[in-house]
Amino acid sequence: MGRNWKIERRTFLRGAGALLPLPFLNLMEAKSPLVGIHGGAESGPPLRFMTLFKPNGVHPPSWNVNGGTEKDFRMSPLMQPFAKHKEDLLILDNMGDFGFSSHSNSTRRFLCGHHQNSRTASVDQLIADQVQGDAPHHSLELTTEGLFTNQIGCSYISYDKKGGMIPRQSDPQLIFDKLFRNPLSDPGKRAEMTSLLDRVESDAKALKRKAGVEDSDTLEEYFNAVRETELRLEKMGPLDQGLETSKFAQLDRPLAPSNLDEQVNAMLDVVAMALWTDSTRCISYMLGNSNSRMIFDFLGIKKQHHYLSHFFRNFSRENIDSLLKISLWHMEKFDYLLNKLKSYKDHHGRLLDHCVVLYGSGMGHSDNHTAQRLPIVLAGQGGGKLKTGRYLRYSKNQELGRLHLSLLDIFGIEQETFANAKQPLPGLDGGEFDEYVERPFDSWVKVESGTMTVQGRLRMSDNLDEAKVFYVDVKGRSSVRMEIGFGDFHSRNVAYHVGTPIQLKGKCVERDGILILNRITEIKSLFGNSNPGKANG
Amino acid sequence: MRPVVCLFAFCLPAALPAKVFEEAIFPILQKSCLKCHGGEKTKGKVDFSRILTERDADAHPDLWETVAEVVELGEMPPDDEKPLSEEDKKTFELWHEKFQKVPSEATVPVFRVRRLSANEYRNTLRSLFGFDLEVGIARAEQTVSGESSLVLKILPPDPPGSSGFFNDTRSAPISSSLLESYTYLAGVALDKLFSVKGRVSLASMAGKGDDWDGMLSLADAETFLRSFLPKALRRSIPEKRFQSILATLEGKAGDTLASALKLELKALLISPEFLYRGFLAKPVGDGGRQAVDAFEFAERLSYFLWEDMPDASLFEVARNGGLEKEEKLAQQVKRMLSDPKARNLSESFGVQLLGLASIDDQFKNDPIRLHALRTQPRDFLNYLFTEDRPVMELLDSNVTFVNQNTSGFYGKDRQRLAPFHKPRGVERQRTMNQRLELRDAEGRGGILTMPSVLAMNHGPIIRGTWMLRRILGVRLGEPPADIPPIKPNARGQKLTFRQRFELHRENVTCARCHEKIDPLGFSLDGYDKNGRFLLASYHKRGNQPIIDTSGKLPSGEEFKDFAELKRILLSSKREQVIRHLTTQVLSYALCRKLGRGDQPVVEEITRKALLQNATWTQLFIEVANSIPFRQTVYKLVKDGTKLEN
Repeated sequence: MGRNWKIERRTFLRGAGALLPLPFLNLMEAKSPLVGIHGGAESGPPLRFMTLFKPNGVHPPSWNVNGGTEKDFRMSPLMQPFAKHKEDLLILDNMGDFGFSSHSNSTRRFLCGHHQNSRTASVDQLIADQVQGDAPHHSLELTTEGLFTNQIGCSYISYDKKGGMIPRQSDPQLIFDKLFRNPLSDPGKRAEMTSLLDRVESDAKALKRKAGVEDSDTLEEYFNAVRETELRLEKMGPLDQGLETSKFAQLDRPLAPSNLDEQVNAMLDVVAMALWTDSTRCISYMLGNSNSRMIFDFLGIKKQHHYLSHFFRNFSRENIDSLLKISLWHMEKFDYLLNKLKSYKDHHGRLLDHCVVLYGSGMGHSDNHTAQRLPIVLAGQGGGKLKTGRYLRYSKNQELGRLHLSLLDIFGIEQETFANAKQPLPGLDGGEFDEYVERPFDSWVKVESGTMTVQGRLRMSDNLDEAKVFYVDVKGRSSVRMEIGFGDFHSRNVAYHVGTPIQLKGKCVERDGILILNRITEIKSLFGNSNPGKANG
Repeated sequence: MRPVVCLFAFCLPAALPAKVFEEAIFPILQKSCLKCHGGEKTKGKVDFSRILTERDADAHPDLWETVAEVVELGEMPPDDEKPLSEEDKKTFELWHEKFQKVPSEATVPVFRVRRLSANEYRNTLRSLFGFDLEVGIARAEQTVSGESSLVLKILPPDPPGSSGFFNDTRSAPISSSLLESYTYLAGVALDKLFSVKGRVSLASMAGKGDDWDGMLSLADAETFLRSFLPKALRRSIPEKRFQSILATLEGKAGDTLASALKLELKALLISPEFLYRGFLAKPVGDGGRQAVDAFEFAERLSYFLWEDMPDASLFEVARNGGLEKEEKLAQQVKRMLSDPKARNLSESFGVQLLGLASIDDQFKNDPIRLHALRTQPRDFLNYLFTEDRPVMELLDSNVTFVNQNTSGFYGKDRQRLAPFHKPRGVERQRTMNQRLELRDAEGRGGILTMPSVLAMNHGPIIRGTWMLRRILGVRLGEPPADIPPIKPNARGQKLTFRQRFELHRENVTCARCHEKIDPLGFSLDGYDKNGRFLLASYHKRGNQPIIDTSGKLPSGEEFKDFAELKRILLSSKREQVIRHLTTQVLSYALCRKLGRGDQPVVEEITRKALLQNATWTQLFIEVANSIPFRQTVYKLVKDGTKLEN
């Protein structure tokens, strides 16, 4: 990838920024003739990777796309805030093949594929290593919430080569300054820094000879940090030939946020600017720790998100309303990001065309912590490598690592395996995949001395006042009502089957003339997986 | 917990084979446990599949503790699986005994360098320069308080290490972004030092008077370096190091000299020698177990008690070998505890010991109340730590700290407080805590009934788990994923929260933790969620239902209310509390998780502390004088490169 187009971008930015609102500039078209001169137009724009992590899983009945096919589907209620981006999205269903997962493990799994894959880098870091190219910053690791020190794993999705936690930053102003008001953008300061690092490095080499066996690793980490910084300085260097230090002067520094909503919006603004100006090509951003205990007082909610997310056990109408409000807010932030990435022009298109955005969570059902049917959405065309506007529901549970292998592949990284996955996820590029297909099925009920067998489509009650109640729809009669306890709900993994046709056996009682199934003895999926995994971890 | 001597040991028939784990235990695990724990499934996060040798097994003493417990209680293997044979049980018990025995001698792990934590870095920079780096914007005290330290705003927060303490930085390696931040901060500090604002600091280090004009001569620069360098590196510096720096300054004057000097200092401040502790420690001979050198020891001591670098006086004592004798060390510890910097012991160690940071999260929307709640326990801990108070006063003390916001909890005692002056027109204000001697206030005294701690942990379950973990040192595992919610009252049923938990405990799985949590937690039901003591007024009114705060500990002790429980904690649980606190102090001082090799030291200190009704000062002295604090093991690079310096 040549740097030519970028120099042009920045030169132009300086020249024209004052005249036009920046996001609507079409930089590359304005300067396209020069691209060829410097290195050939075929070296297109760089591909960027951005991931937005949603805490505390989801309320699956509101999230899952029920029914529909690859190209003909309706987005679920929770997806409505970003529904207008449908054509730029790849909605993946049946991702994740694990049973139940702790918050901390589900966090690691999100970008590492499996919680035991804890000695290597997360996928975003592998991508950053590959695509950094001329971008001055390797990657950004961002968050919204402070550390959860009781279970530290809940606070990190990005991990370095040794599987160590990468510190996250949460202040949009600091990130903005680091990217666009960096003292090192001044060539004099940079020269000073370079000689400083040379100096430090040679001094520290003397230490290396003295260091004990155990400490040479630590010293090696230090040298790596020095070398990475030197590399960054080199990359900042040539960009400034003929430029003033104020090249980013037109970019607006975000104001100090006064609430969570403003903070996240400000950060997303900075994220989009960072990608557009090619300051970095890889960003991971957590909307909260995976067990986020934030209080959304600006939405009028007083209870902590984590408490609310256990919506089955902590059931009340008020709680579920609050939870859905918070979830919708998370979805709105995804929408905000996509709007931003679309508003910037990049090369011959929109910035989003040259991005892969991964949105989602490492946890599915937020009360019983399933690690199947995870909420995962890809956005952006990935430079043509993703065929968007589709809903991919796989027939079998997919290891999350397969998605990561695909991402690596998209970014040109050859790797045979990732976590426990050995093959990339098929279908992202429009190719064939093993789709979950429903065929016509009969629905019926049989009752025999207190035992009921029913076949039909399982759904959660439409009435949020009874969000713990499920129904099995049966043709030609009223739906069978199911009122089960958490034990049954958890051990039978009812959440996994919601929205699909099942055959169900269980004990029933009669109340007010209606048969109510209150104990499950067997649950079978008609077209999908009857045993979606029970491992705990 | 106190090791239990295995009573069955004497009646065991056969001696165990030489490779005990591999030959005797591994087959049992294979046969009876692996299917659910690491084979087909990994239930309860217990995974035996990675434990293949005695060495692997040794690394998980906590695991075997749990295994021993569930095997003894017959909980594992579960009912629907084949039980362990009596022979297998005995084999396991015999083998497990080794984990219960405290090794007869302390061992010391290999020396590791360690990066300064964000707090340590901030404090060190402050002591070195003589001023703080602050964030530019001043805020009104009534607004939500932002971070005022520039260092803490810029550096990402440290994740706690495996010891649970933030000074255990090994799990957070340096990164290029961190290095950039250090460079930036060093730059800001140096710019300030060489500006008018830093004139006083610079003058004192350059040997100049108050009326100095700030013009630095080469001679001044040398004076400055000879003062600054040993301080920054926390040890004496060989002459040739000064000479090499002076050589770069040679022939320069005025601004050129200042900027050359600044560059040298900046290089120093981002060097591993400054950012880490221990790179310059000097091993003797070919390494192996030995006492750490005097400067390394001084550094350990000052980061332990002050979370900061040694001061001139400690430095001087160290240089003269004055810390080798126990009495001298004790004197030094006492001096350091009387220094204002010892406040960091409560602000850092104390806050982490008791998990007090949670107060900041919970009450951040009410800055005035937050100020009252966060300072109360901190002032109390500071009093215990620095005024030579007995260790057990943590739980039982007749002194507390109260400000205008918290005074209402203290009944008639508050009348003895100096009046809080409120300017006209101000409705709520932050006030300093006053020390208050408790005479009449009912239900107060000690950390457990401090309003701020009760407000931080409202609800019996959180209060119970907090007391278990933070005071008794018992860590419960994560609750299982499939616990059903506590059953709500059926129609017509009028069970109290407490009674509903009693039903919950009828389930054996739930009871394993709740029989430990509930009696402790419900004993505090006499205090509401703000920490107000309800029983006093209930007793007075007479017609209200009396809150049931009685209970029975799993170890058998019964109590009728919290006051009785407190007496139990102070008597029969005293040893457990002291052992836990000793463990925590030692672990914080060493910046690492303790291992089996540290157990003899913990036992020895606990034993002494029990005998003497030790004070915190004595505990700190014991820790500072302990083998793992004084000694280390150096493993040197193979080629045997001779050590310079």
